[in-house]
Amino acid sequence: MPKAAHFDLTGKKAMVVGVENPAGAAIARAYAEAGADVALCTLEPDAHVVTARKLAKEITAMGRESRVYVMDVTLGRNVQVTTRQIAKELGGLDIVCSAPDRFLAKPIGKITDTELANVFKLNFNSHFFITRTAIGEMEKNEDGGRIVIVTSVLGERGLPNTSAYAAATGATYNLIRSVSQEVARNQIGINGIALGWMDWQSDRIDPADDEAQRATRFPIMKRAGAAEEVGPLAVYLSGTGVGYVTGQIFPVDGGLLQHL
Amino acid sequence: MLETLELDGKVIVMTGGGRGLGRAMAKALAEAGAKVVIAARTQEQMAQTVSEIRADGGDAIAVRTDVTDSAQVDALVAATVAHYGRLDAMFANAGGGGGVNAEFWEYPDDAFEEVLGINLKSAFYSGRAAAKQFIAQGGGGVIVNTSSGTAMRGNKNFAYPTAKGGVLSLTKSEATMLWGHGIRANVIVPGFVSQGPPRDEQDAAMRKQRGSFVPVGRLGEWWELGPLAVFLASDASRYITGNEFIIDGGGLAGGLGPVGFVPTHEW
Repeated sequence: MPKAAHFDLTGKKAMVVGVENPAGAAIARAYAEAGADVALCTLEPDAHVVTARKLAKEITAMGRESRVYVMDVTLGRNVQVTTRQIAKELGGLDIVCSAPDRFLAKPIGKITDTELANVFKLNFNSHFFITRTAIGEMEKNEDGGRIVIVTSVLGERGLPNTSAYAAATGATYNLIRSVSQEVARNQIGINGIALGWMDWQSDRIDPADDEAQRATRFPIMKRAGAAEEVGPLAVYLSGTGVGYVTGQIFPVDGGLLQHL
Repeated sequence: MLETLELDGKVIVMTGGGRGLGRAMAKALAEAGAKVVIAARTQEQMAQTVSEIRADGGDAIAVRTDVTDSAQVDALVAATVAHYGRLDAMFANAGGGGGVNAEFWEYPDDAFEEVLGINLKSAFYSGRAAAKQFIAQGGGGVIVNTSSGTAMRGNKNFAYPTAKGGVLSLTKSEATMLWGHGIRANVIVPGFVSQGPPRDEQDAAMRKQRGSFVPVGRLGEWWELGPLAVFLASDASRYITGNEFIIDGGGLAGGLGPVGFVPTHEW
């Protein structure tokens, strides 16, 4: 448990959606380190369930509760049903982290209607549904709750071939801002973490592509970020000292956004 | 992962540490294990912060400093190193009002200079003195500046926001210039935050009224800067540099109408 005040999540009930995203898994681990019970959600009943179960075991070994769920985030109704089940089984819901992420990069002329819809489903609609349901659960709490959405710095910059993905993450930025205004009086805070180039993102930083490797040296720190560099910020944004922080998106990007 | 939040043995300077947010941040840093050097102009206020930290079992000293004088800022860092042997983080937090009430087209040079000195030059002097020391001791180190939410929007009282806007820009450049030496720089941007407990009932009523204009329905409280200060000073933020940390009750995420304006329109 951290010594610094307000980073202690003992007794808090947390749900992390999208633990196949290494940032999501790191956040779940950080929540558990801080003392929270953590429900882990994978997006599909695939190989990631096995990895999630390992993480749940790790968390249980720390003395917290942890279970694995499959949440189809493409349908609001599914998100609601699974979230309610989690809240029931955990005994409440104080913290929700939404971390689904699926990258697509193609020239705009080649992006099909279906691809556009799917990019929005996974990178925006998912956050919308999770946030909507989380708020419903948190309104039952006397002390509200904290929502953390993991998105990308592409939400505020342009990059060739990312018209669909960047638009979905940009939409996520404004989802955070708008919802923050709507629920501020209910003691529900919502903030974002915008990832820069991260070391697991071979989908966008192809190790075989020289230009992509140059991109990882573009941030001030000249390297890609690691998952464990995301966890502590999520704990801060979910802690007890953060009631005056809402509607903000905090980059974890090694200074990428500062590049002229 | 959260062991990175520990500040055990780190030496941190807090300018403007004699009161308000500086005092609150200094106390949180000390609580997380840091040795804190309180710098301010007013002896009694510094002594108060130091004695509050020591009463909680922390380690702190005071070094009287006028941050608008670069020689005094250099001396502050020298005094820190003389006492604690090194410097790990510089919080360039000193700042404040100053200036005069005047129409823009009549605003006098000396008033503008004064506001820049207190709020912007002070941050430059503090960052420069810290960077020099960080590099001399082999690199690494953290700079945390304090700006203001007023810097992000227009304001009739323009001098202070202009200086604080400079602090935002300074931070980004510090991050860019200094990473070669492993030095990170970030900036805290407080919105409407009260500096300490209310003085009396009238003060409390005024705060309540002002708080009603903030989306969360209240003013921020001084201690709420503490956890953020700890996060930014620590290795928990090691992949974060050049960024703004807005703590404003949701104000800057909104602002397209008065709080209470809730449009409804159905298809």
